[in-house]
Amino acid sequence: MEKPKKKQVLLFHCVEAEELALKVAAQSDLIQLQSINWRSFDDGFPNLFINNAQDIRGHHVAFLASFSSPAVIFEQLSVIYALPRLFTASFTLVLPFFPTGSFERMEEEGDVATAFTLARMLSSVPISRGGPTSLVVYDIHALQERFYFGDTLLPLFETGIPLLKQRLHQLPESDKIVVAFPDDGAWKRFHKLLDHFPMVVCTKVREGDKRIVRLKEGDCAGCHVVIVDDLVQSGGTLIECQKVLAAHGAAKVSAYVTHAVFPKRSWERFLHKNDGAEKAFTYFWTTDSCPHTVKAIGNKAPFEVLSLAGSIADALQI
Amino acid sequence: MSAVSPSPSLLLASTKPSNETHKTIITPIIKKPTIPTIQCEFRSFENNSSSYQNLIADSSNRIHIIFKPPSSSLLTTASSMDLSIKHSKRVCLFYCSEMKDLAERIASASDSIELRGITWRTFEDGFPNLFISNAHGICGQRVAFLASFSSPGVIFEQLSIIYALPKLFVSSFTLVLPFFPTGTFERMEEEGDVATAFTLARILSNIPISRGGPTSLVIFDIHALQERFYFGDNILPCFESGIPLLLNRLQKLPDSDNIAIAFPDDGAWKRFHKQLQHFPTIVCIKVREGDQRIVRLKEGDPKGRHVVIVDDLVQSGGTLLECQKVLANHGATKISAYVTHGIFPNSTWERFKHDAGGNPENGMTYFWITDSCPRTVKQVENKSPFEVLSLAAPIAAALQV
Repeated sequence: MEKPKKKQVLLFHCVEAEELALKVAAQSDLIQLQSINWRSFDDGFPNLFINNAQDIRGHHVAFLASFSSPAVIFEQLSVIYALPRLFTASFTLVLPFFPTGSFERMEEEGDVATAFTLARMLSSVPISRGGPTSLVVYDIHALQERFYFGDTLLPLFETGIPLLKQRLHQLPESDKIVVAFPDDGAWKRFHKLLDHFPMVVCTKVREGDKRIVRLKEGDCAGCHVVIVDDLVQSGGTLIECQKVLAAHGAAKVSAYVTHAVFPKRSWERFLHKNDGAEKAFTYFWTTDSCPHTVKAIGNKAPFEVLSLAGSIADALQI
Repeated sequence: MSAVSPSPSLLLASTKPSNETHKTIITPIIKKPTIPTIQCEFRSFENNSSSYQNLIADSSNRIHIIFKPPSSSLLTTASSMDLSIKHSKRVCLFYCSEMKDLAERIASASDSIELRGITWRTFEDGFPNLFISNAHGICGQRVAFLASFSSPGVIFEQLSIIYALPKLFVSSFTLVLPFFPTGTFERMEEEGDVATAFTLARILSNIPISRGGPTSLVIFDIHALQERFYFGDNILPCFESGIPLLLNRLQKLPDSDNIAIAFPDDGAWKRFHKQLQHFPTIVCIKVREGDQRIVRLKEGDPKGRHVVIVDDLVQSGGTLLECQKVLANHGATKISAYVTHGIFPNSTWERFKHDAGGNPENGMTYFWITDSCPRTVKQVENKSPFEVLSLAAPIAAALQV
């Protein structure tokens, strides 16, 4: 079957995702960066202007968003609601990290699912000439969140795991790689994508008031174990996993998460200190889905940032 | 006033509502509190419910009914004389943190409005962690939420509650948003301008419908009259005005017969002249002179008058200050201002001084705002010339619609 012709895409972006947008545009001649004036009125509300709005008519248009905090949602949403109505041929919203819903549990009537709020706000993006808006999200935290979106949106669920696999292939052959999942949730999400690696699954067991991480299945003695999860918040779970794996004889422990949320600079406790002390994590791989963390981390060991730019550029061709 | 109970001429006749067949028994129980009170118990044979009516005699011996309806039964109506009891429907009122004061005032303005609580916390990543207390208890109830979008940052958490409440099997849902922000500065002048008023209207139009149908949305003095058309069919916008509060206040002024109303521009005149037509009117206008825009008098005469400048909102106050100068130059003896929404970003309310009986060019006699913008209200409370006129009563009334 002949593949559909490649299309030219005009890429707008929010302020905090500028670096990633530049990388995406650099991936392909077909992707062209566009600009928006982001200002504020005195009362704090946004004063926005889409440059060259008339010239985007008839073109495929995309917006690279980043909702790192509730405060930046409204201004980006205003642009997201405006772009499809400018006679674009199609509209794609790229939101690498879909926040909310990573802590919350609907446990009793009265719990408010903010993931639902966000999905609802996105579901009312106007349709464009190209039909419903495509929504590109990487490694969505709760698998059921895919059902939160109405029919006006076409969610495209991508994953950062191929970037990890590519990176693992670059490691010395002598490293015996074993993939570890910190809990059943992570196993459910990722085991199929990583099934050619031996696996270890951890689990959290309740002992009185405390919750302790234990090894549930698998063997890691003498191996380079890579803990895989979709995101990290403050990192407590990862640190506990690392201890358990080291106790079971792992030669090296590394970690991969697609989204490095790390509120309040909690990534600092993972840094390699120059005092020659033993390194807990050999590598800590993450993507550039969370721009504030990526800016702060830079290239400080053990962190390595694997960019989503190539993957996003490909997704824009869908 | 003596503590002895007056000979009660019970104005309450035992009239039966036309559609009910039960008998009412009136049993006067005469107590001796500091204010003479007569307590009557009405009992209905049919459902054995009772409703208490406290009758209080004041110094002029008129009797005021303070009506406390029972929680679920049909309300008995009573006819006659000064007494009018409305069928009031119970409303559970939730509110955002910054509107707590106004919510409390609304609840005290009406017996049928009950305040409810929400726990507003944040997760480590900055996103909201919210809990609606006693969610089961609002099943089958009329529910309302008092919102305030004073900045973009507070919208998401309130929106989460607004999207969640209608789905808790409430019998109806009303969103009270006294001040609808955005759209006060923006002009759609060329392709590329982004109308954030449209964004907000769209977000609100997506509120899930409840058992009571579309959500009612109560807004006071919406800035752009055309914004009323921005809302989809799942929302029933209810556009109210704060002007009745101003009229009420003006009546109580000692110089109430010497008031003239001034509009800072044609927009304000369009919005308000019908509600204020029995006052002499002055209209100002902004004229371009080179690069500058100057306020001039267009029609009307301020001479010798206490002029009240009326507009829907004030931002930093530049326009009002200019109007004030023009009106003073044309002979106004006192100048006051009324705006429904006192936005005043960056403490710009400080530019408005009290005239302290002196020259109207240097200060205002009164500056009235409502409590639609709670952050400003906190700052200007008890600072002349500011006076806050509360929207509590009109909101309580709107919740009964």
